[in-house]
Amino acid sequence: MNPFTIDPNRLPLVTGEQIPGTMSQLMLLVILLGAVSYLLLQHGVLKSKMIAAAGMGVFALAAALAVSLVPGQLDAVVRMCFSLLAVAGGLAFITAREPVHAALGFATAVLSTCGVLFMQSAYFIAAATMIVYAGATIIIFLFVLMFAQKSKLRTYDVELSHPIVATVVATALMFAIAWSVTSPGEILPIKLDLTRPYSLAVPGEAPGKQMPPMPSTATSAEEYAAFVPSKTSGLGRSMFTDYLLAIELAGTVLLVATIGAIVLAQRTERDAT
Amino acid sequence: MIQLLTDAWPTLWPILAAIAIILAVVPFLGLYMTFIERKIAAYVQDRVGPNRVGPFGLFQAVADGIKIFLKEQIIPDHVYTVLYFIAPTFSLMTAMFALVVMPFGPVATDYKEGFRFIVAPGIDIGILMMVAISSLSAYGIIVGGWASNNKYSVYGAIRSCAQFISYEIPLGLSLLGVIAITGSLNIEKIVAVQSASLLDWNVFWQPLALLVFFTSALAETNRLPFDLPECEQELVGGFHTEYSGIKFVLFFLAEYTHIVTVSFLTVLLFFGGWHFPGLPGPSGASLVVLLLGLLVLLIKVSLVVGLIMLLRWALPRFRFDQLMGLAWKGLIPLALANLVGVAVVLTLGLPKHLLLITAALPVAAAYYSAAKFNQTVSTESSLRAGLARKQAVSYE
Repeated sequence: MNPFTIDPNRLPLVTGEQIPGTMSQLMLLVILLGAVSYLLLQHGVLKSKMIAAAGMGVFALAAALAVSLVPGQLDAVVRMCFSLLAVAGGLAFITAREPVHAALGFATAVLSTCGVLFMQSAYFIAAATMIVYAGATIIIFLFVLMFAQKSKLRTYDVELSHPIVATVVATALMFAIAWSVTSPGEILPIKLDLTRPYSLAVPGEAPGKQMPPMPSTATSAEEYAAFVPSKTSGLGRSMFTDYLLAIELAGTVLLVATIGAIVLAQRTERDAT
Repeated sequence: MIQLLTDAWPTLWPILAAIAIILAVVPFLGLYMTFIERKIAAYVQDRVGPNRVGPFGLFQAVADGIKIFLKEQIIPDHVYTVLYFIAPTFSLMTAMFALVVMPFGPVATDYKEGFRFIVAPGIDIGILMMVAISSLSAYGIIVGGWASNNKYSVYGAIRSCAQFISYEIPLGLSLLGVIAITGSLNIEKIVAVQSASLLDWNVFWQPLALLVFFTSALAETNRLPFDLPECEQELVGGFHTEYSGIKFVLFFLAEYTHIVTVSFLTVLLFFGGWHFPGLPGPSGASLVVLLLGLLVLLIKVSLVVGLIMLLRWALPRFRFDQLMGLAWKGLIPLALANLVGVAVVLTLGLPKHLLLITAALPVAAAYYSAAKFNQTVSTESSLRAGLARKQAVSYE
């Protein structure tokens, strides 16, 4: 079997299987601990070195736990390595003193997450994350940090104005994510809606069916569907049919942000002159 | 663990073999490309070039390699040591990692068991993956420049940041036309679509995309017309000022690997890959046909590599604002126009070779900007003349 094809038996979350209760409680505990220690860090009760030491301890524990729990498959081992690396990167991001080191820790976390996504066969999301976050966002961070490297850090760079509000909001968000991961709703099987021209219907995707010969130029919807039996095309179809409104809204938000950036840039220029 | 490895062996060995080939060939290629580059430079400048070591100077590359390995390791006092060592390694790592989804020989789209000329066959997002990895190659330069703790290095790193971010946009946009008509991001499929005849090669209906792609890919390799991050006259050596010996070589090995990647991509995406009129495709082909396909691919790639090396001696370096202007005002609009053309052709079901007329666009753009340049020059000179006359009058 091609090692890069997806095996539905190995994806417990997609088939609606529940994560065991102790696991989800452990997740919530970890989030709460993180929130509390972050607040203590902000108030100066804890030093970042102590957090780093505690984090390394937890990290070693998690690594040991992971090694004992990992099923005996090569891809599971690789995936676990990526997950641990992601956690380590996040830890470095929070505890690093030098802003550039923090940014590099963030980059490590993002890239390792991409690795996890690759191991889950979510290729498109992984590549998109790599391009958008690792390739563009963090590089711009580094760009700004390099300009600011010689100047001393200001108080507003180090201290938050509302640490409690920030921590509460972040914790709530993390709880929401953990909840939606641990109790996934029922995922409906993909329906083959043949009445809509560009929907999830992808003839030729069914196992055992032979791919039709490629036409030199595909013109109709049917030809396209037959032409591209890949998961990425399924994602694209889904995005531009089932989630069209969300996509258009996101595009509009980005457009507004771009216009805002241009307006801001021009205003400072006019003020300066 | 051993049990794991033996279980996975049938799927694992072709991958390991392909990785071994890449790991073995890349350093060798890097050494010999410096040799070829010196020979081409000598030819352009009407010199002889390296000719002392071995027949035609062929062992010069080996001698250089030995010399570099035996050099003293100099670590300046003021660098951030860990990042200083990580940077060149990361640079080479990303350059080589991009080769994972790149077919370096004929690959059939039925992906049979056994050795294939690619590390990871049948990745749905092949070309996207290459763009993603190449966007990471800025890290090596940025981290290296920052860790050197030296203002010239930091300036080199900052320039490379801006350059990478700007040129990634036209690079991605220029590929969209090819992807839209092929209907797949998979590089093997993009090549398979170009199999029918010579006129099916993508270059014959995407000339504009080829131009934009090649220019922006060249900018991502940091080679001469675009080598502002290391620009010797302004920045000493740019991001690699503090690097010497084997660490310096790793940076340059990464650069040469990038050149190879760009050449392969140009051939695979626009010049039909391993296809040549009269040569059957790779699915179910005999070993001889496969080797012929490999030969065709390598000849095409070496032609592109030669072109890139000649370009180095043919074009002067850009000024920084010209570099940004080229990306944002030149390449991005051209790539968008190309994309609109592809969309129109696809929606109306027109023959795709109609897109050949997009080749007229860069010519028109060049003509327009030349005319505008002449106009600015002439207005400036007439203004200056007017000013001089006025001054002359006032002096009188």
